[in-house]
Amino acid sequence: MKKVIDRRRKYWNEPTLGWWERFYLFEVLRGFSITGGVFLRNMKRWITGGKGALTAYYPEEIRADYAAHNRGKHVLTQRPDGRPQCIACNLCATVCPARVIEIEAGFDPDDPAHPKYPKRFEIDYSRCIFCGFCVEVCPEDAIRMVRQVPGLPVPDRDHGMWLGREELLTWQPARDPAKPYPPKEGPK
Amino acid sequence: MTAIFINGQSVETGDHTTVLQVALANGFHIPHFCWHPELSVVGNCRVCVVEHEGRGVGIACNMPISDGMRVLTDSEPVRAQRKAMLQFILLNHPVDCGICDKAGECSLQDYHYEYNGETAISGDAKLHSTKFFPLSERIILDNERCILCSRCVRFTREISKSNVLGLENRGDSMLVRPAEGRSLDDDPYSDNVIDICPVGALLSRSFLYQARVWYLEPTPSVCPGCARGCTVQFWHRKAEWRLSGLDERHNTRVHRVTALENPRVNGPWICNKGRDLPELLDRPRATQALQKGAPVSLMQAIETARGLLDQAGKRVALVSSWGSNEELRAFRNSLGDYFTSFVKPDHLPLEGEVVEDDLLIRADKNPNTRAAQDLFGTAAAEIPDDTELVLVWGEGVDFGTLPRGVKILFLGSWLLPENGHADVFIPISIQTERRGHYTNFEGVVSPFEACQPHRDGVIDAETLFPLLSAPGGSASGGGAA
Repeated sequence: MKKVIDRRRKYWNEPTLGWWERFYLFEVLRGFSITGGVFLRNMKRWITGGKGALTAYYPEEIRADYAAHNRGKHVLTQRPDGRPQCIACNLCATVCPARVIEIEAGFDPDDPAHPKYPKRFEIDYSRCIFCGFCVEVCPEDAIRMVRQVPGLPVPDRDHGMWLGREELLTWQPARDPAKPYPPKEGPK
Repeated sequence: MTAIFINGQSVETGDHTTVLQVALANGFHIPHFCWHPELSVVGNCRVCVVEHEGRGVGIACNMPISDGMRVLTDSEPVRAQRKAMLQFILLNHPVDCGICDKAGECSLQDYHYEYNGETAISGDAKLHSTKFFPLSERIILDNERCILCSRCVRFTREISKSNVLGLENRGDSMLVRPAEGRSLDDDPYSDNVIDICPVGALLSRSFLYQARVWYLEPTPSVCPGCARGCTVQFWHRKAEWRLSGLDERHNTRVHRVTALENPRVNGPWICNKGRDLPELLDRPRATQALQKGAPVSLMQAIETARGLLDQAGKRVALVSSWGSNEELRAFRNSLGDYFTSFVKPDHLPLEGEVVEDDLLIRADKNPNTRAAQDLFGTAAAEIPDDTELVLVWGEGVDFGTLPRGVKILFLGSWLLPENGHADVFIPISIQTERRGHYTNFEGVVSPFEACQPHRDGVIDAETLFPLLSAPGGSASGGGAA
């Protein structure tokens, strides 16, 4: 007689079902109670505006569980007068492995300390790999990455996934402990 | 023949008279700021120090050769002195490489990394100076970056002979300034000082902050500004640094023009007209073939032109002196039998332009008159009144001067009102879209390469001429060729 070989793979967590589980009905009810409980808890938190709801309304809401050092959207830091700290040196554009940063520089003879500034500063998020090299290379601490991911959904296709200077100038210094704002006068 | 030893290696001195020249000619690099092969020796930057064994350390640019002398370019005392010298030069230099247009091709930057590599050892605050001094309409001077090598001053004295620039004051308040009542605007060669400046002190206004130099690459070309035919480099954006979010113009534009050193024609210099070529190339282009002002397809226009050619009795061609040698030869081979050909000047001297001088600028403002005249003679254009067809190739012809009622076949590159007045207008490519050669007034032939993409709807004149002369045949047959 031919020996029957069970060729099914054996897993380390292969379930072993007792008669209670095999009876099916009680286990299904237990499952419903778990999912239903989570659903109701979330529902209650969301209705009452409490914290800890697991669902977030993208893109209006930000996920609560991004890591503190998550590399998300880029921001351009600002001088006290609100102009970008960026000097358009193009080091970020040069170091970028995906070559997604494009800067058009302008000349401002009235500010001899910062004669070069970015007239346009464009990042293509469809190609950005969020490596953070641009932040690391910047000699002026002019570009940083915040926790949130960029708000990319747009109503039309033609817009692409480019964010420009205005969208990147959203640094909120009041919430940035690493850099007091306005900057303190350092030693000359 | 004298021989000297550099780093223990015996080298022939040739015609050279100083250690620096011999070393550079034999592949030993000695850093130098103020020394320039075409300028006099001043020896003020002191970084070209070498050790003459047994005699101590001295500057190589001013060290005469003696038979059997032994020179060390990288010994311990040389390195120490060079490093100290770089510390001195950087005393008041702002080191703002991040926003300096010279960064990437700056000798000071290169030498600092190679021979110094240390932060400043001076504790004193850097002196501030004039930041953007307008030397002329074309050049601004950043006195903080200037290292006072005096190359620009010597250039205006020895090469362009305009004597515009000089040095004011002494010590660390020394400044490069124009002489009283003078301006670099008077010097038609002024932009060469931007190239010879070893740091980023002299800045071109037209190139200021346009692109970091490592995004650009040069294409060898020939300046079409006059009959001298100086060899130049057209700097345009590298393909791997193509921009897609900004204006497409940045990808194809010629950002700047520099001289391509060529001892047979122009040496290392070109005039300011050559630097302004981007403006000439950026003029609006004609890309649509026209038939009495109405747009038609290129093939339709060629077909009509061929019809005109076959029907006309007496035919005259005004040949462009901007055509390359290849195009002129193609014209003679394909259409030479059809036409009585005259060479015309496409461009005449502009108002206020330097017409001719002893250094480079020639009165004939066209690049290839010599080659055209070799093929088609030097006679001035004479168009008899019974001419039935005139082929005008290139700019510079007023259609009002042509005989009344004559059919006009116009080959041009630029968007001009004349285009619509021609019976047939065919758009042709410009110099930066094709390769070829120009022959300068002395007969020196220089090649140029394509550096801009071929516009749609535009045909090379070299391709067009055989199509025009092809006997019978359908237009589609010509198109396949």
